[in-house]
Amino acid sequence: MFTFDFLIRALIASVLSSLSLAIFSPFVSLRRISYLGEAFSHMAFAGIAIALVAGLSGRLVTLIFVIVLAYLIGWLSKRYKLEETNTITIFLSVSMAFAIILISLSSAYAFDLSSYLFGNVLLVSSADLILVGIMAALSLAFILIFYHQLFYLSYNAEMAQFLRIPVTFTNHLFLILLATNIVINLKAAGIILVSAQLILPAATIFNLVRRLPVVIFLSAVLAIIAAIGGFALSWWLNIPTGASIVMLEFVFFLISLTLRKRS
Amino acid sequence: MISISELNYRIGEHAILQDINLDIAEGEFAAIIGPNGAGKSTLIKLILGLLPLQEGRIEIDGVPHLNWLKHHPMGYLPQDEKFDRRFPATAKDIVLMGLAAELKPAQRFSTSQKERAREAMQQTGCWEQAKKPIGALSGGEMQRVMLARAIVGGSKYLFLDEPEASVDQAGVKNFFVLLKELNQQGRTIITISHDLHTLTSFCSFLICLNKTLHCHDKTELINADIVHDFFGETTKIVHKSY
Repeated sequence: MFTFDFLIRALIASVLSSLSLAIFSPFVSLRRISYLGEAFSHMAFAGIAIALVAGLSGRLVTLIFVIVLAYLIGWLSKRYKLEETNTITIFLSVSMAFAIILISLSSAYAFDLSSYLFGNVLLVSSADLILVGIMAALSLAFILIFYHQLFYLSYNAEMAQFLRIPVTFTNHLFLILLATNIVINLKAAGIILVSAQLILPAATIFNLVRRLPVVIFLSAVLAIIAAIGGFALSWWLNIPTGASIVMLEFVFFLISLTLRKRS
Repeated sequence: MISISELNYRIGEHAILQDINLDIAEGEFAAIIGPNGAGKSTLIKLILGLLPLQEGRIEIDGVPHLNWLKHHPMGYLPQDEKFDRRFPATAKDIVLMGLAAELKPAQRFSTSQKERAREAMQQTGCWEQAKKPIGALSGGEMQRVMLARAIVGGSKYLFLDEPEASVDQAGVKNFFVLLKELNQQGRTIITISHDLHTLTSFCSFLICLNKTLHCHDKTELINADIVHDFFGETTKIVHKSY
């Protein structure tokens, strides 16, 4: 019974985590900001290290750290007229370096680094599951409520702003929810693999369909199938769940490429 | 009425616009002409709030322009709107963009808003392309779609930045006929153009700009000497036949 509960919880966490990231993926893809997923997840690693050393709540500290850093990058780039992608890359690497130094200096050196890097859905607790569930519901609600604003923000942010569409507010909300999504799903998806789940579903579906509401729906469906399939594969082959989900999503991506060529 | 007074704009040490004083009355069909680097696009962008005001005042209907723009739709057809041709939008989606500010969160476009989009597209002659993806539209078709977006919100002002740039020669005259129709329906048109020959048949007010300003009413439009005196050797009057 214990094993069954534990497995069901891990499976539901995988599905909700993949779904939650996948419904952001069409907008991440259209806005060409997949590097942001990579950056946020690496910055989160520094947040985790700070929380670990200070003995504070891991998720809250990590989330605050990532959001503060994201705004700091925006401010620095504007203030000193720096290329934003360069600033992001610098902070991504420095965050990793900072995290490694903190962990190596702290008494918590023995903490399981690989479970943060690659994710371990089997470590998800009931409380984690509730958080992942809330995050998936919030992501879904956000996309449904702000669909048109996100659509025109992705088309041309400058023109959308001129036409008085509330793109600044929508963009702030989008980035905060993207960061939250990454931090909440780190345990299940892992720092290195979380960004793959933020781009692969939409990249696959855009090869087959170009109508955005259909792309969002099918990205979610594909992510759920990959989560269940990846979970089953990881169970049978005794391999990490996050990695098998990403590999399965990549296989779907390759199939979509061949179908696009044919069509 | 658009009123500009004592407007100066510079980038670093380089003056782009100097001491601009200009009133554009309602109902005008105004054209801004001038050589490259004369500050034409800068002037339009300052009026539209797309560049920050450094010195001077701009008022629309007696209200500071940024306040006015916050509360009213403004028609604008940019010269080269950046967009991904593979972006999953139809022509109608782009026209509806002109009405998206009216939507509250979670709201969808109403039947009446879709009807307004249809009317705007019919007026600009692009309704047949409504369901086409934007990547399948020609330069001229996209121009009409963007014009429909500029008028769908019901703005009484319409700004255009070199609308003839992406239209073939034959299309330019038709496009200006369409603008004249919109002007006769009560819209004030302000367009940047290089095509003096076409402008003379349509516009009522010529704004010659070369950092500083010189204005003419229609009677003087065809006087090439005035334009030549103002711009010197940098500009030649080109007569095109369509």
